[in-house]
Amino acid sequence: MSAAAASVELQSDKPRGVWRGRIFVAFLLLSLAIGFVTLGTLVIQVLLRGIAYVDPVLLTNPPSSDPNIAGARPAILATLYLGVMLIAFTVPIGVGTAIYLEEYANRDRWFNRLLELNIQNLAAVPSIVYGILGLAFLVRGLGLGRVLLAGALILTLLVLPTVIIASREAIRAVPPSIREGAYALGATKWQVTWRQVLPAAIPGIATGSILAVARAIGETAPLILIGALTFISFNPTVLGPFTALPVQIYNWTRLPNPEFKNLAAAAIILLLVIILMLNAGAIYLRNRYQKKW
Amino acid sequence: MRVSLQEELDQLEAAVQEEGELVLRALRGALGALERQDVELADEVIAFDDEVDDSYLAVEEGIQSLLARQTPVAVDLRTVLALLHVNLHLERMADYCVTVAKLTKLVAGIPHDETLAEAFDEMGARAEEMIRVSLDSLASRDMERAESLVDLDELIDRANRRAVKQVIAIGGDEERREWGLRMIVVSRCLERIGDHAVDIGEQTAFLVSGEFREFTDASH
Amino acid sequence: MVNTEAEPELVRIGSVEKLDFSERERTMPPPESREVVFEVSDLSVRYGDSTALSGVSIKVHKNFVTAFIGPSGCGKSTFIRCFNRMNDLIPTAVVEGRIEYHGQDLYGPRVDPVEVRKRIGMVFQKPNPFPKSIYDNVAFGPRVLGMTDNLDEQVEKALGQAALWDEVKDRLKANALGLSGGQQQRLCIARCLAVEPDVLLMDEPASALDPIATTRIEDLMHELKRDYSIVIVTHNMQQAARIADMTAFFSVRVEDEGKKRHGVLVEYDTTPKIFTHPSDKRTEDYVTGRFG
Repeated sequence: MSAAAASVELQSDKPRGVWRGRIFVAFLLLSLAIGFVTLGTLVIQVLLRGIAYVDPVLLTNPPSSDPNIAGARPAILATLYLGVMLIAFTVPIGVGTAIYLEEYANRDRWFNRLLELNIQNLAAVPSIVYGILGLAFLVRGLGLGRVLLAGALILTLLVLPTVIIASREAIRAVPPSIREGAYALGATKWQVTWRQVLPAAIPGIATGSILAVARAIGETAPLILIGALTFISFNPTVLGPFTALPVQIYNWTRLPNPEFKNLAAAAIILLLVIILMLNAGAIYLRNRYQKKW
Repeated sequence: MRVSLQEELDQLEAAVQEEGELVLRALRGALGALERQDVELADEVIAFDDEVDDSYLAVEEGIQSLLARQTPVAVDLRTVLALLHVNLHLERMADYCVTVAKLTKLVAGIPHDETLAEAFDEMGARAEEMIRVSLDSLASRDMERAESLVDLDELIDRANRRAVKQVIAIGGDEERREWGLRMIVVSRCLERIGDHAVDIGEQTAFLVSGEFREFTDASH
Repeated sequence: MVNTEAEPELVRIGSVEKLDFSERERTMPPPESREVVFEVSDLSVRYGDSTALSGVSIKVHKNFVTAFIGPSGCGKSTFIRCFNRMNDLIPTAVVEGRIEYHGQDLYGPRVDPVEVRKRIGMVFQKPNPFPKSIYDNVAFGPRVLGMTDNLDEQVEKALGQAALWDEVKDRLKANALGLSGGQQQRLCIARCLAVEPDVLLMDEPASALDPIATTRIEDLMHELKRDYSIVIVTHNMQQAARIADMTAFFSVRVEDEGKKRHGVLVEYDTTPKIFTHPSDKRTEDYVTGRFG
C-alpha cells in the first residue's frame, strides 16, 4: 500500500457525528447561560437598588421608622452571634457522631443502620418543620422563650445532618492504609482516630462546617417561627429577644414605604457578602489542604 | 547492590582457587613420588584425591544453588559458567595426578632409566607453572596471560614427544619395556594436565570477552 | 569421604579441612539448631463461613528471612497477618489453632494486641507514609508507645538502619509524601524499626517498586536479618530465592468441585532445597513456572 493511498484513507470529508457534537455543546452552553443570566439579573437588580444604601449608617444604627437613619446593627450582630454559636455547637456534635459512625459502629447492628437512615432523612426536612419543632420543644417545652439561644439551637439541628455527612465523607476519605499503618505500629483505636484520622480529615470537616453555617445564616423561616422580633433597637444577648439579618430583610420588604425596600436590598447585599466570604474561606481551606494520597 | 550475590560469587571463586592449590600439592606429591620412587608418598597422593573430590562436589552444589537462587546474568553468569568448567578441569587434573601415583606404585622395584628423569623434571615444572599461570590469570581476569599458556603447552608437548622417542630407543628386555610403556602413560598424563590448564585459560578468555574460542585448533 | 580401612596418614601432603564455601553453613547454624521465634500448630483462618487457610504448621527461626510464596488466593497474606494480630481488625475473621511467639500463645486470653504489635512490626505492599513530616512519621511509633526519651536519636537511628538517613537528614521536616516510592517504603521500614521490634513482617514490600528500589530493599533485608527476624510474603518467587533462608510454598486446595477453595502449606524447607530439588511435585511445578 503506497503512502499516498494511506493518507487518503486517513482524511474524510464529513466526520461522523460532528453536527451532533456541536448541537450538544450548544445545549450545554444554553443551560449555562440560563443559570448565569437568571442569577445575574437578580444580583444586578439588588445591586442597583441597594448599593447606594450600603453605608456606615446601615451598619451602626438600629432600625427605625425613618428610613434615612434606619440601620441593621442588631440584626447583623445577631447573625454573627448565631454563626459563632452554630460552629460551637455543630462541630463537636457533628464530628463526634461522624467518628462514631465511621470508626466505632458495627454496621451490622440494626441500631446503627437506623441511625444512618435517620441522618440521611433529616438532611432533607424543610426548614420550617425545624421551626415548628423549635417552637414546641425549645421555646415552650423547655421554657427557653423566644431567645437567641433557641434560634441557635434550632439552626444547629437544621444543619447538623449536613455537617455529619460532610464529616463522614472527610473521615472516609482517609485511606485505610493510614489506619493500618498506625495500628501495625502498636497504636490503640483511640490513638489512631485522634492522631491520624482526625488530623487528616480536618480540612474536609472544616470545609463542610463552614458551608453548612453559610447556609444556615440565610435561613429565615425557622427564626420567624420561633419568634424573631421584627423591631429591636437594642443589641441582642444570648438569652434575650433577637432578630437576624434575613428576618430584618423580610420585615423591611413588607413595609409600605418604598425606601425600606431599598434598605432591604442593601441588607441583602450585606448578607450576600457575608455568605460569599464564608464560602471563599471554605474554598481556600479546601485548596490549601488538598491531600495527594 | 546485590550484596548476597556478590558474596556468594566471591566465595565460589575463592573455593575454586583453593581447589587449585590442592591440585598443585597433589601434583608436587605425585612428581616427588615418581622421582624418588616413594610408594608411601604415592599412596598419600591417591588418598588425597578424596579431598579434591569433596571440594569439587561442594563447588558443584554451590554453583547449582547460586544459579537457582540468584539468576545471574551477563558477567555474573559467565563467571559462574567459567567456574563450573574450571572446577571440572581441576578435578580431572587431580585424577591424572592419581594416575601418575598409581603408575609409580606399579613400577616400584623395576629398574629404570635415568635419562627420562630430566624429561619428567622439565614436564613437571612446566605443568606446575601452567597451573599457576592459569589460576592467576583467572584471578586477575588477564586474557593475555591466559593466552600465554599456549606457548607453555607447546613446551610440554615437545618434551612429551622427546620422552616418547627416548622410550622407543630403550628397547631391551621385557621388564624395561614394561617400565617404558608405563612411563609413556605418565608422560601423557602430564601433557594432559597441561591441556587442562590451557582449557582453564580459555575459560578466563570467555569470562572476559564473552566469546568462547579454542586458543589453537586441533591440528596442533 | 576417605576410605576407612588402612588409611595412610596424609603426613607429607597434609590434610585439609572440609571446604565449605557457603556462608550460610560456615557462620550460621542449620535450622534445626536455631532458636524458634514462631511455632504455628494447625492454624486455620476463616472469614465467616469461608475458609481462607487451613491446617498450617510451621516454625519460623530467629535471624532468618522466611519467605511465603504461592499463587494468588493461597492465603499467604492472610497468614502473615496472623503473626501480628492484624486480622483482629477484620470483624468476620476467625483464627483457629495456635501460634506461639517465643513460647507464649499469641492469641491467649490476656494478650494485648498492642503489645504484640510493638514487638512484631509490619510493612505493607503499597508504601503508606502518614501525611506528616518525615520526622513525625518515624516518631509516631515511639510517641504513641510512650518511648519519648531522646526522640531525635531514635529517629536518626531508625532512619540509619533503613538506609535512608543520608538522603533525608537535611529535610526531616519535609512532607513524607514528597519522597519517591522506594524512599517511602524505606521510611515505612524506619517507622517500624523505631519501636525496636523483634520481628519484621513484610507483605510484598517491593511489589509496588521499580527494580532498583527493589534491589535496595533486598540488600537492606540482608543487613537487617542480623538483628531482626524477617518474614516476607512475595508473589515474586525469584525474590524469595534471592533473599530468603527458608521458603514455605502455599497452594490452593480445591474441594467440592471447585466451589470451595482454601490455602494449604505444601512444603517448607531451606531455600536452596526448594529451588534445586523440592520434595513435592506441586512445589516443583510452581517454581519452574509450569503451573500455578
